[in-house]
Amino acid sequence: MSDMEDDKINIIDSGPQETQKQDVPVLPFPENIPVVIKSWYQKIRENKKLVKVLRIALGCLVSVFAIFLIFVFIIYLVPGLQEIASGQKTKFVDNPELKQDQNYKKQIGLITKDIKRSSLKVNSYTSGQSYIVVNTIKNRFYLYKNKQLIREGSCSTGSYKKLQTAGGKSWTFKTPRGKFTIQGKRTHPSWHRPDWSFIEEGSPIPPKDSPLRWEASVLGDYALDLGDSYMIHGTIYKRLLGMPVTHGCVRLNDEDLKVVFNTLNIGSKVYIF
Amino acid sequence: MDNIEKKRLTGKQITLIIIGVFLVIFLAYFSIMASLAPGKKLNEIRTKFGLQTNSGNTLDERLYSDSAYIGMLKEKAFLQARISMAETDSIYMTLNFADSTANLEISGVEVHSAKISDVKISRILRSGNEYAISSMFSSPMNIISDFASIKKEPLMIKMAPKDTSEFKPDIIPDTSDYEPVNYILEMDNGIRIFVYQEIDTIASDKNQLFFFDLNDRLKNTWSSLKSCAHLKVPEYHPFIKIRLRKADAKILYRAIPRYGQIAVYM
Repeated sequence: MSDMEDDKINIIDSGPQETQKQDVPVLPFPENIPVVIKSWYQKIRENKKLVKVLRIALGCLVSVFAIFLIFVFIIYLVPGLQEIASGQKTKFVDNPELKQDQNYKKQIGLITKDIKRSSLKVNSYTSGQSYIVVNTIKNRFYLYKNKQLIREGSCSTGSYKKLQTAGGKSWTFKTPRGKFTIQGKRTHPSWHRPDWSFIEEGSPIPPKDSPLRWEASVLGDYALDLGDSYMIHGTIYKRLLGMPVTHGCVRLNDEDLKVVFNTLNIGSKVYIF
Repeated sequence: MDNIEKKRLTGKQITLIIIGVFLVIFLAYFSIMASLAPGKKLNEIRTKFGLQTNSGNTLDERLYSDSAYIGMLKEKAFLQARISMAETDSIYMTLNFADSTANLEISGVEVHSAKISDVKISRILRSGNEYAISSMFSSPMNIISDFASIKKEPLMIKMAPKDTSEFKPDIIPDTSDYEPVNYILEMDNGIRIFVYQEIDTIASDKNQLFFFDLNDRLKNTWSSLKSCAHLKVPEYHPFIKIRLRKADAKILYRAIPRYGQIAVYM
């Protein structure tokens, strides 16, 4: 018998299931996918609850996406539209005839004079005398003489702490900003302690003329008075230089303080920002 | 039964269509009103600061289309603004876009200078009438409000101890610089100055800037929507956006007074 006849015998001998398997075409893997998806889709369609849930979920997704698009349009695109076409730029017409006009030359001359005068005035604000600039954010100082920077270094400025008592009294420890002048210079200064220095420690406040009010050697070798009890002075807390730790004064190290003391005079400007 | 179901579906669809149409109309209306805002602002600037073409004006109008003259006018305006601020003895800021610097001055003395790494200027200020814009900048602008990612004054409250046993010495302050620095200064003439720190590699700084910007946009949009609801053209605020190093941005923000002044040279 031929091979084909053997196959026929095999087919006849196999049961009904074997026959069904033979009826369904067995396709290779990539071409199976549409059939699988179709069968899933049909199963989903038959499940009404699942269809409802899927519809609601899709509806929500579409709504959220639409809201997102509207949000982006209003917040970003509309302000962008405002920048597209706004105004007509001045068209410069550099007319050679105009430049020969007497009135034009007069106007140019006048405005040139104004500019020169204004420039001189602006330059006059920076004095050739010595002055110091204190940066309270970076805790740095810059000493100038004859409009040249001659020294810079670290300093300590106000701590931005607010001391409050239970009774409602408060003191804010910050270095004031603006333009000041040196109002006094002292050597080997002593510190007359104010009330807050005792309150801060929890100590009782002594009378104004008490010897407990005076403390020597905490302000270094020199002190320059700025008014309102603010000073530029030395410090025993040298490791804290460069940090905002003071009660408002400006602290320098010994070498910097000596140079500053010897450079600045009474009336010299102090710019603090 | 099938007919009733079909009617329900149709009702839903009609509702959706109506909502969609209303939305489109609203968006179109809002877009048109918002687009009209810059033109309205420009007209205001021209009216207030523009060249007066009355019979009393003897100056040759051709002067104002001469680039050399306008350039000198801008320089004069900036110097005048600086002099005006210097007379007040307070701290103020100057933005010099010719030199790309943002400077802090006290009584005419430059105390700090920062390099501007990037600048974006509103089209209305770049493309508007040069004479009107330079006239507007000839007097200093006053800050009326600010909005920042850092505190203006980082005050810490310390309660006084009742006695010496409760006293604790101050701890060494944390000077690490981790807060991103971004702020907006609103001027009295409607201009808004945005100062952003240069973008670091820290991802959180970029996120913070995104939310900072988003917060500002939401506020502006809400204000514009309210105006549109009252059938008014919303207010347009020309802007100047600059980027500075973080340290410089912080210095400028903390140094300038809350209602300080700013002069601009474009």
